[in-house]
Amino acid sequence: MNRLARLARAADWTGWLGAAIVVVMIGAALLAPLVAPYDPVAISIEHRLSAPDAAHWLGTDQAGRDVLSRIIHGARASLAVGIGAVIIGALLGVSAGLFAAYKGGLGDQITMRIVDGVASIPLLVWAIAIVGILGVGPVTIGSLQFPNEVKIVTLVGCLFSPVFARVTYAVARRIVGADYVKARYLQGASHWQIALGEVLPNCLSPIIVQATLLVAIGIVIEASISFVGLGVQPPQPSWGTMLSDARNALYSGEWWLPVFPGIAISVTVIGFNLLGDAVRDLFDPRNEARTLVA
Amino acid sequence: MSAPLLRIEELRVAFRGTGGLIEAVRGVDFGVAPGEVVGIVGESGSGKSLSMLAVMRLLGATARATGGRVIFDGEDLLAATEARMREIRGRDIAMVFQDPQSSLNPALTIGRQVTDVVRAHRRVSASEARRIAVEALERVGISEAGRRLDAYPHEFSGGMRQRALIAMAIACRPRLLIADEPTTALDVTVQAQIVELIAELRRDLGLAVIFISHNLHLVAEIVDRVVVMYGGKVVEDGPAADIELAARHPYTRLLRACVPSLHGPLGPLAAIEGAPPRLGRMPAGCPFAPRCPQAADACEREMPPLATDGARRIACWRPQ
Amino acid sequence: MFRLLAGRFFASLGTLFFVGLVLFALTRAGPGSPARIVLGADATSQQITQFEHANGLDRPFLEQYAAWLFDVLRGDFGKSFVTGRDVAGEIAGALPVTLSVVLLAFVIAIVVGIGIGSLAALRPGGPFASVTRLGVVLGLSIPAFWLGIVLIRFIAVELRWLPPGGYVPPSSGLIAHLQTIAMPAVSLAVYYIAVLARMTQASLQDALRGDYVRTARAMGLSSPRIVFYALLNALPPVINLAALSFGYMFGWALIIEQVFNIPGLSRALLNAISQRDFLLLQGIVFLFTAIFVLANLGADLVNRVLDPRQRSSA
Repeated sequence: MNRLARLARAADWTGWLGAAIVVVMIGAALLAPLVAPYDPVAISIEHRLSAPDAAHWLGTDQAGRDVLSRIIHGARASLAVGIGAVIIGALLGVSAGLFAAYKGGLGDQITMRIVDGVASIPLLVWAIAIVGILGVGPVTIGSLQFPNEVKIVTLVGCLFSPVFARVTYAVARRIVGADYVKARYLQGASHWQIALGEVLPNCLSPIIVQATLLVAIGIVIEASISFVGLGVQPPQPSWGTMLSDARNALYSGEWWLPVFPGIAISVTVIGFNLLGDAVRDLFDPRNEARTLVA
Repeated sequence: MSAPLLRIEELRVAFRGTGGLIEAVRGVDFGVAPGEVVGIVGESGSGKSLSMLAVMRLLGATARATGGRVIFDGEDLLAATEARMREIRGRDIAMVFQDPQSSLNPALTIGRQVTDVVRAHRRVSASEARRIAVEALERVGISEAGRRLDAYPHEFSGGMRQRALIAMAIACRPRLLIADEPTTALDVTVQAQIVELIAELRRDLGLAVIFISHNLHLVAEIVDRVVVMYGGKVVEDGPAADIELAARHPYTRLLRACVPSLHGPLGPLAAIEGAPPRLGRMPAGCPFAPRCPQAADACEREMPPLATDGARRIACWRPQ
Repeated sequence: MFRLLAGRFFASLGTLFFVGLVLFALTRAGPGSPARIVLGADATSQQITQFEHANGLDRPFLEQYAAWLFDVLRGDFGKSFVTGRDVAGEIAGALPVTLSVVLLAFVIAIVVGIGIGSLAALRPGGPFASVTRLGVVLGLSIPAFWLGIVLIRFIAVELRWLPPGGYVPPSSGLIAHLQTIAMPAVSLAVYYIAVLARMTQASLQDALRGDYVRTARAMGLSSPRIVFYALLNALPPVINLAALSFGYMFGWALIIEQVFNIPGLSRALLNAISQRDFLLLQGIVFLFTAIFVLANLGADLVNRVLDPRQRSSA
């Protein structure tokens, strides 16, 4: 495919580096029980606070747990929240954007005002407040029990959705008004055919760009919420809680406790950012994806 | 003819390409006398704008002058320092461009943009600069200039913007004005007005003008002399009346047939077959040979020299 | 123009009204009613009814919201059921602390971000532009709270240049005040420096390629002046982004305050959560939302005011 050839040629090494980081991190998260050298929650008093060595590459924490294993397992929460929130946000946002662009009139107005309203919500404050109100306990739906992170994923996903709604709306409005689409309607094409055949493929580039960059933001949000104790609950490992625990080690010599989880977050986020930028340069020359700030 | 004001000698301009330098202007040679109006005519890609940007030393990062000299008033501009060029630009030589829409800064008032030129070259007070700006705007035919100083470019029509640009250009009374397709982006009726304005300025201010255009008839209205460019070279050069009535280079003749005259009867329009040569793929011989109805074997092999014939010069093996 | 400003302003107020309604509903969605929380598990149902009646909690939901909102607009955030303290007073005590960190971070981000971005735009392929590109990716990716932790470790613990945390109000000495908020503000600013530097670089680079820049050069204007004029055209999107950033900064300041142990709104909010003090929580979150909405409004208006085309057509 032409695009793939262009991808291979045009993406400079930073894009490939980003892609490599993302693949490694997702791989580590999926295969955590296989690749982690130790049980991430196994306490071992005699090995507590040991510096990085051959047995524990990244050292151990106050409870003697292996830092490397905790980081590998911690990738699960971070990536699950980041990617999960983006999927939820994309589904909600794309539907809203398509609906508004098609419906026009009052339906359009109402939908896009709701989107504006959701976009007026400061994400982090609300995430902290709502988890605070609902409590950090697990969520039970029927016989299924979900960890606390489900609330964060859902919430962050909802608050990510305006980004997708606006991109989809802008592209869809342009396409629905284009002459060749009007011509296809005259030939008897249905709304669904136009939406799936013309609009979505055209929205795809900016959506992929935004999605990649939003995963990065989602990861930092998860780490931040866990850092203040409202995200992943101990003893389950997460990068944010590891950093929170590491604050106790700031004045003593255990440098590895604050350093490695932070590097894990930064490298993962760098990976998604580099990949997102490369995808933007490649697929979105018109720059329909707006600058993201969080 | 008196000593030329501007003398372009063997000027060469090249782009930095992936495979080294790609020559786009390949030895251009002509002069402009004080007060003379010279038209440069050619299709896009003939190197006409590029040579003038080289004269102004405004080529930007991707292209540069690789050879020749540009003598203005006895001074080689290609060897001048950037600081010296800044003095010359706007004060001695000014240039206006094709698109008046984008050539004015949208964030600044017209008055600000004209007074800036004045104050860049003359130590005058703000009120004096304003007075000079009003005078320049009035001279280019903008009525109620004093009131319009505070207008923004978007409040002007296309023709007015081009007038404002010309006002900026003449505010410091330069001796040479280079107008790079100043009418191309304008309505036909406005085009004639701008052409008329330039003719008027030349008469009143004794300004020498280089008028770049792809429209031979439009140029012939006001210029003294026409320089025809093709493939980065001058192919014909002579008094406007001679070129208009009796062009000798086959390219000029075809070019003349392509564009309807503003005044003459509307005959059938011709089109030149084929496309201009691509940069970096210049033929060894005459660049026009592949499209030329008169081309012979000699034309393909060797570039004809620019031969002088009275007041005219022509580069063709088989002139008519 | 004035009509437009007024229109946007009232639209923002409308948004705030509905978002506040959602917030009001959510604070009541948690486990345990306020009466239960205040009176304890063994309160009788009669006591609960009495409490709810006394505090207006038995009135219809919308009426409660309207009453609360009306009070808030007059600066009265209510009295906490849990601590009995005035919520407005609690917020007034903590807000200046958060504000001083955010404002310093905002100033740093704007000055450094626009400065770096402009320098990088002047020589697009140059070494400074390359370094900036690398720095921007790092700045966008390193979480502020981790940066704060690292700063504490090196600047405060190893080098002992600055205190590792805590807060000194400006009234107790400006130098001591700045010493306590310097590291938090820098940690908070780094991400926004990267955001603004990238936007400035892209926007200015674009502007410098403009035809009017060529015109200015053809008229012999000096380079600094040309760059300044290009910047006039390049800045509106940057300032728009800066205004948006101001709104977002408050959110991240919550986390930063935790790292540096600063008694700002973050501590008040987490206290409200742990004590299930809904009125306080509601007040703080509403305040943050209002700031955020106003920052968005500001970003929108800044664009219109700075662009002469929109200024006169509106």
